Amino acid sequence: MSDITRNLLQRLSKSQIGKEIPLKSKKTLGILAILIVGMVVFPFLPSINNYWIDVGFYVGVYTLLGLSLNIILGEVGLFNLGQAGFYAIGAYTTAILYSQFQIPIILLLPISALVAGGFAYLVTSPIIHLRGDYLCIVTIGIGEIVRITALNNPFGLTNGANGITGIGNPDLGIFSITTPTQFYYYVWIIVGLVILALINLQKSRVGRAWNFIREDEIAAEASGIDVRHYKLIAFVIGTALAGVAGNVYGSKLMIISPGNFSFMESALIFVIVLLGGLGSIPGNLLGAAIIVVFPEIFRQFAAYRLLFFGLALIVMMVFRPGGILPRRREGAGLQGLGISNLPEDENKVLEESTNKFLSVSQSQEKAESPILEKGMVTKSTKNGIVLETQAVTMRFGGLVAVNEFDLKIREGQITSLIGPNGAGKTTLFNVITGIYHPVSGRVIFKGEDITKLKPHQIISRGLARTFQNIRLFPSLTCIENVMSGPHCHARSGPLSSTLHLPSQQKEERHMLDVASYRLHQVGLWEYRNELAKNLPYGKQKLLEAARALASGPQLLILDEPSSGLNDKETEELMEFLTKLIGEGFTLLLIEHDMNVVMGISDLVTVMDMGSKIAEDLPLEIYNNPQVIEAYLGKEEQD
Amino acid sequence: MNMLVEQLINGLTIGSFYALVAIGYSMVYGVMKLINFAHGDLFTLGSYLGYTLLVIGSGWVTNTFGIWGGVIVATMGAMLGVGTAGLLLERAAYSPVYKAGRLPLVVSALGASIFISNGIMAVWGPRFQAYPLASIPTGSIVLFGDFRMTVLKLVTILVSLSLMAMVYFIIEKTLFGAAVRASALDRETATLMGIDFRKIILFVFFVGPALGGLAGVFAGLNYTRIIFTLGWTYGLKAFTAVILGGIGNIPGAMLGGILLGLMEALFEGFVSGAWKNVFVFLILIVILVVRPTGLIGEKVAEKV
Repeated sequence: MSDITRNLLQRLSKSQIGKEIPLKSKKTLGILAILIVGMVVFPFLPSINNYWIDVGFYVGVYTLLGLSLNIILGEVGLFNLGQAGFYAIGAYTTAILYSQFQIPIILLLPISALVAGGFAYLVTSPIIHLRGDYLCIVTIGIGEIVRITALNNPFGLTNGANGITGIGNPDLGIFSITTPTQFYYYVWIIVGLVILALINLQKSRVGRAWNFIREDEIAAEASGIDVRHYKLIAFVIGTALAGVAGNVYGSKLMIISPGNFSFMESALIFVIVLLGGLGSIPGNLLGAAIIVVFPEIFRQFAAYRLLFFGLALIVMMVFRPGGILPRRREGAGLQGLGISNLPEDENKVLEESTNKFLSVSQSQEKAESPILEKGMVTKSTKNGIVLETQAVTMRFGGLVAVNEFDLKIREGQITSLIGPNGAGKTTLFNVITGIYHPVSGRVIFKGEDITKLKPHQIISRGLARTFQNIRLFPSLTCIENVMSGPHCHARSGPLSSTLHLPSQQKEERHMLDVASYRLHQVGLWEYRNELAKNLPYGKQKLLEAARALASGPQLLILDEPSSGLNDKETEELMEFLTKLIGEGFTLLLIEHDMNVVMGISDLVTVMDMGSKIAEDLPLEIYNNPQVIEAYLGKEEQD
Repeated sequence: MNMLVEQLINGLTIGSFYALVAIGYSMVYGVMKLINFAHGDLFTLGSYLGYTLLVIGSGWVTNTFGIWGGVIVATMGAMLGVGTAGLLLERAAYSPVYKAGRLPLVVSALGASIFISNGIMAVWGPRFQAYPLASIPTGSIVLFGDFRMTVLKLVTILVSLSLMAMVYFIIEKTLFGAAVRASALDRETATLMGIDFRKIILFVFFVGPALGGLAGVFAGLNYTRIIFTLGWTYGLKAFTAVILGGIGNIPGAMLGGILLGLMEALFEGFVSGAWKNVFVFLILIVILVVRPTGLIGEKVAEKV
C-alpha cells in the first residue's frame, strides 16, 4: 500500500470525519425521539377523538404515497404525475381479489404491491427513456387510462363509477384491525418499515446511482450506471409502495371508486414531495401532514379551502422553492460505514478490503478485465494494442463528422489526438465510449468488439473518459461523485442494499476505499464533503479525472484536460499524467496545448475534417507541412 | 357517409379548440420550459367570462348588438380578460419562481391551476352553467346533398383556422417571431443579441391565454354547458396535441390539435365514446415510442 494511502488512512482513523459529520447529531436524535413518542401516544391524548385518529391515519397513507413518489421523482428526478393510477391499481387489486375470491386482505398487501409494480414495469418499459416533460404527460395519460378503465367497468370487475364496496379488514390471525386506533398504528408501522428501508437504500450503490441519474444522465451512463435499469427499478419500487398504500386505504375505507384516484390525487402526491423537499424523508412526513391536516382545519371554509391551498402552493414556491425541509447531503455516510472507528491495525484491514474488492471485480469480469491492485493497473494485453478503431464513420444528417477513422492505442503510452476545432475529435471519443454508435466501422477494446455496447458497459470493461465540458454530478459531494467510478464493479442490488447484508456492507466499504484513494490522489481529499458545483473550474476537472480513475480503467480518455488551466496548473497536469503512466494506465488525450502534446505524448494523431491526416512522433508532427496547413491554412503561391 | 362527414366536422371543431389551447402551451413551454398547468383553467375562465358577458342584464349585449354582435363582444371581452389574467399569472406565480428551477415552477403551475379553477367555482358556483340559448347563433347551411352544417360550427372552424394562420405568420415570418423562436432556443444568447426577453414573455403570456379564452367562448357556444373543471380535460388533450406535433414547435401544436380532434371524433363515432380518452392517450404513448420528437419534430439538441 502506497504512502499516500497509509497517510490518508491514518488521517481517517483520527476520527476526523466522525467529528465533522456526525451521522445524527444529539439534537436530531432528540427531535426524532420526541416525534416517535408523540406519534405513539397520539391516540391517547386528551381531546383526540376517533375523527382526529383517522386524520392521523390518512397522514400515514399520504406519507406512504409521498415516499412512493419520492423514489421516482425525488431520487431519480423522473416527472411522474400519474402516481394515483398505480395507487388505484393496488386498491383495485385488493378490492377485486377480495370480493371475487375472499383472499385475506393482509395477504393481498404484497400481492397489490407486486401487481402495481409489475404493471408499472410493463407500461413504463417502452417509455422510460423519454425526457422529463414527455414522461410527465405520459404518466398523466397512464393515470387517466387506469381511472377511465375502472370507470368503464370492464368485464363487470370494477363496478363503474359506484366502485367496489365491502372490502374486508386486515386480519392478522390473532386479531383483526378494525378500530381507528388499530388502523392508525397499522399504517404507521408500515410507514416506519418503509422509511427504514429507504434510508438504507439512499445510502447504497442503488440510491447513489439514482441520484447520479437525476444530476446528469449522460455522465451517469458514462460513469458506469445502467440508466435504464435503475430508472425501472425506481419506478417498480415506487409504484409497488403506492400499491401497498392502495391496499391499506381500501381496507380502511372498505369502499373504493374511480373518484378516489383522479389527477388531483396525483397532483397532491406530487406536491407532498416538493412541499417537503426533494428526496427528504422528514420533508415527506411534513408535506403529507400539511396536505391532510390543512383541509381539515379549514373545514368551515369548505368551498374556499382549495382556493387557499392553490395560493399557498404558489406563495410557498416563491419564498421557499426547495421545500420546507430540503434534504441535506451528509458526508456520504462515511461514518455510517464505520471507517472512523477502525481498529488498531487499520492499515491491514483496509489493504485486505481493497484487495478483496479487486477480486470481486475480477471474478465478475471476463479474463481480460482491468485489475485494480493497490491503485494500479497491471494486466497486459496480448499484442500491446489496447484500443483500435477500424474505419469508424459517424454521420449527422449529411455531415460526415468522422470519416473511416483508424486509430491504434498502444498499452502504456500517451497518445494525443489533435486537430483544428470541428475536426471531429470529440465525436470520435463519443463513438469510442458508446455515446454515439457509428454508421460503419468497428471499435475494438482489448480484442473485444465494443461498437454496439452502451457507455456503462464500456466503462465496466476498463475504458473511462472525461468530458470536454465538465459533466459532474453538481449537487452531490465530491466523494459521492468519485464513488460512481467503482459502481460498475460492484453488484449489490436493491434487496441486499435495503437489508444492509454483510456482503453489501463490505462492498460499500471497498467502493469507499477506492474513491477515497483516488480523491486523495488528485489532491481533493479535503473537499470530500463539498458539493461538486462549489469547486472552482480547475478542481472540477480534477474531480472528473478522479471519478474516471476510480472505475479502474485500463485506458483513460481525456477530452482537453488542459483547457482553462493556467501555466502552473498545466504543468501539474503534465506531471500527474506522466505519473499515471507510471502506474500502468494508458492514456488517450484530445489536446490543444502544444506544450502538453509535445511534452508528454508518445504518439500524435492529427485529425482534420473527420479524417486522419497524419500520425507520427511528436517532433515529426511538429514539422509536418500537412499538419501546419490544416491548422494555419495553405500558404498563398505568388 | 353523412356520419363520417359529421364526425369529421365535429373532430375539426374540437380539434381547433385543442389547437388554440395548444398554441398557448407550446409558446409558454418554448420560452420558459414550463408545462403551464394553469393554461387549461384559463380556457375555463374564458368560457365563464364569455358566459357572463352574454347573461348580464338579461342578455343586454345580445339585445343591443344582435346575436353575432354579442358573440363578437363576448369573444373580445373574454380574450382581453384572459390575456390580462395570463399576464398576472406570469407576474405572480412564474416570474418570481423562474430562477429556482423547473420543479418549483411545476408546483407553482399546479398551485395556479388549483387556484384558478377553485376561484372560478367560488365566483360562479360549483354547478353546470348554460350559455343562454338566445345568444347562440342558429341556422345552418347546405354543405352537399342533404347534408347540413350549422353556421356556428363553420364560423368556429374558420375563425380558429384564420387565427392559427395569423399566429403562424407572426411566429414564422416576422422579425418579432424570429425573436420569440430565438428566445425559445436559447434565452441567454437571445438576450445577449439584444432581444428584450420581457417583451417576449408579455407577448407569449397575453396571446397564448387570449387564444385559449377565445376557444373557451366558442366551446361554450357550441356545447352550451360549462363547469369550473372544464379546462382540465381540454388542457390535458391540448398538451397531448403539443407533444403529438413536437414540443416547442408552434405549427406542430396546431397540426397536433387538429389531428387529435379528428382521431378522437372518429373513434367516438365509430368505436366507443366511453373509451375515447383511453384511445387518445394510447395514441400519445405509441407516438412517443415510435417517434419521440413528435410528428414535426422538436427543435432542441444537446451537445455532449
